[in-house]
Amino acid sequence: MKQLLPISLNVNGDSYDIAIPPWRTLLEVLRENLGLTGTKKSCLEGQCGACTVLLDGKPVNSCLLLAVEAQGKEITTIEGLARDGVLHPLQKAFVEHGAIQCGFCSPGMALAAKALLDRNPNPSEDEVRHAIVGHLCRCTGYFQIIEAIRDAAAEMARKDVQA
Amino acid sequence: MSELSVVGQRVRSPDAYDKVTGGKGFPVNVRLPGMLHGKLLRSPYAHARIVRIDTAKAEKLPGVKAVLTPSAVPQIKYHSVFFAPNLDPGMVRDMLILSDTVRFAGEPVAAVAATELEIAEEALELIDVEYDVLPAVFDPGEAMRPGAPQIWEHAPNNVAVNLSFGFGDVEQGFKQADYVFENTYQTQRVHTCYMEPRVCVVDSDRQGDLTVWSSTQHIFGLQEKLAFALGLPISKVRVVKPRYIGGGFGGKLDLGYIEPVCALLSLKSGRPVRIEQTRYEDFITTARHPVKVQLRTGVKKDGTFTARYAKSILETGAHATHGAVVLPVHGLMGFLLTYRCPDVKWEGCAVYTNNMIGGGFRGYGGPQGAFAVESQIDEICEELKLDPIAFRLKNAHREADPHPFNPNFTLSTYRLDECLKRGAQEFEWSKRQSAGSGSGTKKRGIGFACQPLWVSGCVGFPGIYEHSGAIVKLNVDGTADLSIATVDMGCGQNAVLSQIVAEELGVSADAVRIAYADTQTVPFDAPTHASRVTYSAGNAVKVAAGSARKRLLEVASQLFGASPDDLEVVNGRVRLKGSRAKEIPIAEVVELAGAPALTLGLEGNQRTPIADKGTILGTSSLAPASNPSPATAEFVEVEVDTETGEVRPLRALFAHDIGRVISPLGAEGQVEGGFQQGMGFALMENLVFDSETGSCLAGDFLNYKIPTAIEMPGEIKSLFIESNEPSGPFGAKALAEPCLIVPAPAIANAIYNAIGVRVRELPITPEKILAALGKL
Ligand code: FES
Ligand code: FES
Repeated sequence: MKQLLPISLNVNGDSYDIAIPPWRTLLEVLRENLGLTGTKKSCLEGQCGACTVLLDGKPVNSCLLLAVEAQGKEITTIEGLARDGVLHPLQKAFVEHGAIQCGFCSPGMALAAKALLDRNPNPSEDEVRHAIVGHLCRCTGYFQIIEAIRDAAAEMARKDVQA
Repeated sequence: MSELSVVGQRVRSPDAYDKVTGGKGFPVNVRLPGMLHGKLLRSPYAHARIVRIDTAKAEKLPGVKAVLTPSAVPQIKYHSVFFAPNLDPGMVRDMLILSDTVRFAGEPVAAVAATELEIAEEALELIDVEYDVLPAVFDPGEAMRPGAPQIWEHAPNNVAVNLSFGFGDVEQGFKQADYVFENTYQTQRVHTCYMEPRVCVVDSDRQGDLTVWSSTQHIFGLQEKLAFALGLPISKVRVVKPRYIGGGFGGKLDLGYIEPVCALLSLKSGRPVRIEQTRYEDFITTARHPVKVQLRTGVKKDGTFTARYAKSILETGAHATHGAVVLPVHGLMGFLLTYRCPDVKWEGCAVYTNNMIGGGFRGYGGPQGAFAVESQIDEICEELKLDPIAFRLKNAHREADPHPFNPNFTLSTYRLDECLKRGAQEFEWSKRQSAGSGSGTKKRGIGFACQPLWVSGCVGFPGIYEHSGAIVKLNVDGTADLSIATVDMGCGQNAVLSQIVAEELGVSADAVRIAYADTQTVPFDAPTHASRVTYSAGNAVKVAAGSARKRLLEVASQLFGASPDDLEVVNGRVRLKGSRAKEIPIAEVVELAGAPALTLGLEGNQRTPIADKGTILGTSSLAPASNPSPATAEFVEVEVDTETGEVRPLRALFAHDIGRVISPLGAEGQVEGGFQQGMGFALMENLVFDSETGSCLAGDFLNYKIPTAIEMPGEIKSLFIESNEPSGPFGAKALAEPCLIVPAPAIANAIYNAIGVRVRELPITPEKILAALGKL
């Protein structure tokens, strides 16, 4: 019999109590135990960024993180980015700008972008490029993604001013 | 051009909302009740015979439900390529699901299905295989030498296929030449790097009927090849279309090992079985074939071609599945047809080695051809002091010329000249300096290349599937469902096809939804490949939508007391042509056709005549006669650091004639993504293997680098020179492949312009630059 470890995770504001083998990564637990398949699995070695989630607001490769270590932290996955059925401005901008082709890199990209805009609401193009450097996309050549992120930043700034 | 309301608009992809919130429709997400997890045991040797496999221990491991070895597998030789019929004589059939001889390191020798992945992995370690290791050969040149290890009995000197074709008398042509140039160019093995791994789930029922979910680019190809390899009638295999897949680029265009293995494991265990490849497994599954191209070119003083000869040696790896077809496409489209020349000859062979199998990759033989042809033209121009653009204009085919390969067609739209001229103007080509003239350690250069004619399929090859079909069904809420086998792998197929349907029906793009499809429910469609979907599938969906509209107007005609020919649909409403006096929403007409009686306002109750009862729909199944070629030119500026050898592309401009642009947003995305793949091919990507053992040394993204956001140039501009292709849906032609074909020669030419030295072997790494500069 496998040794199962009871853990509790807070994902997108919901808490989950589960029992897992201690070596399970957060990526596996999200996808296989919690059915949150928005987080993507591509290289499993921390080299592509597809599995990015936010841990207390910071982007991490969930394929390299043991689920155990994510206890007590706020985990945000792509499923948690839209609130009450309303897309986050970043998601809206990704759609409008054609930043999504096959879409496999998109969840990771969008979360990396969220982390960037949370700490730097008005990034330069160069800063955007550096923020997504760990995220491989094979479809878009990144341009429409970069435009989308900068456009979302501008849109969020406009909303802030109005508010 | 007539007024269009949906075609040409910047519409959003119909899947974008789903994908940006997590993307539930990827095949990697498919899970079934009772599903087992499969795993392949792969050979550590590049060439070996299996003497004995002992699976007793593995079978006893709790949780293991089925084990597969070569002796339990049908030994039917098949070719795995999706776009040609199983028995096509041009295809080499040298694949087995599991064989007792392995011919590359990583070839599967056994498989296991277990209740958990970890158990399957553990079981693999319990399988004992005794190998008789055979001598291996990894270099195509060596493989062809007498005495080299023989990889296949049917291929003396390891030559899988030998081909040649041409026009005129090439020796005669060389006699007419003022100058003859001879150069050799070599390309490397590169991977498509789709981000979603190859994955499948196969379920079986008590009758042995199989249902397959897979990350495939072609559901009908998968059905056909899988049935053939298993020795089953095709009706025993049903393939479900994935809603979309996470990239493919040609790399998911063949039957992998995983689908037949899952099928057999499922038949054995009676449970659904899933296999997902690891990234390493993906790296050794498919790659663009390395090709060595020797060119001999005769020109007049003024730059007119008099004779062109090429010899291509393509390394196909352990199997000649795609290699046997990439070769002629490369020879024909990548060399022979590119420019006008009376005397042309091409010879080529595909050579077996004990390296991994080559596969499909966007461009299918084109990037290897263009790197050679377009680099050499630049070399000729440099030598003869000719302008590279004028040179190409002089030798290019022209609009309205007969198609150089298929005399039944003309190049009815072909604006290469405009692409060159307008591209040059926008890019300020005239400001180009002479080669290597910059000062300082960082030198800038401008380069240019084009792909005059290109579509990798549908140029009249008899053995290649080209037909497409569709069903368009109107719903009572005025929307339409489009059922089609075409797989969207990220290039916006779902968007483009919905737009075409919407335009033809007279509704908005978001009123068209892509329906569920599998091989039982929709007409055949050729694969998502060869830049064919917009044109070929586009025509099919247009015809289906057109026939649905015809039916709609027939039903509506009684409401207007007019002939269907006098009616039109605008913005989802039927009306008398040009009149706004009375407009009836499509929804009402559809409901009328389905309902026994309907209240229709002013007219009072009306009954639907029996002849008009039924669902309003249209179907199609048709093969296009040809796929008219786009024309592509690309300009690029690079900066070369002569101290480090590093090359940075600074900006690029593409000028394309792709007919009418259906989806500008999607088209720009294709161009930009194509540049990334072409730039990787030019400068950094190289799937290297150990030359002693044949094992892959670059099977992860750390060792196989693809361009990231910071390596990409500052800007890429797309200039679409719109023409109106008469045979295309709303005037459209193809786009996808040339965007990736032209960057490598354009970058190589720009590097030459920057530093005055030529690198004829890809990728152009810093070491090669420094060596060429004499600094190493
Ligand atoms: S899957 Fe985690 S970084 Fe690639
Ligand atoms: S959209 Fe396909 S990998 Fe980024």
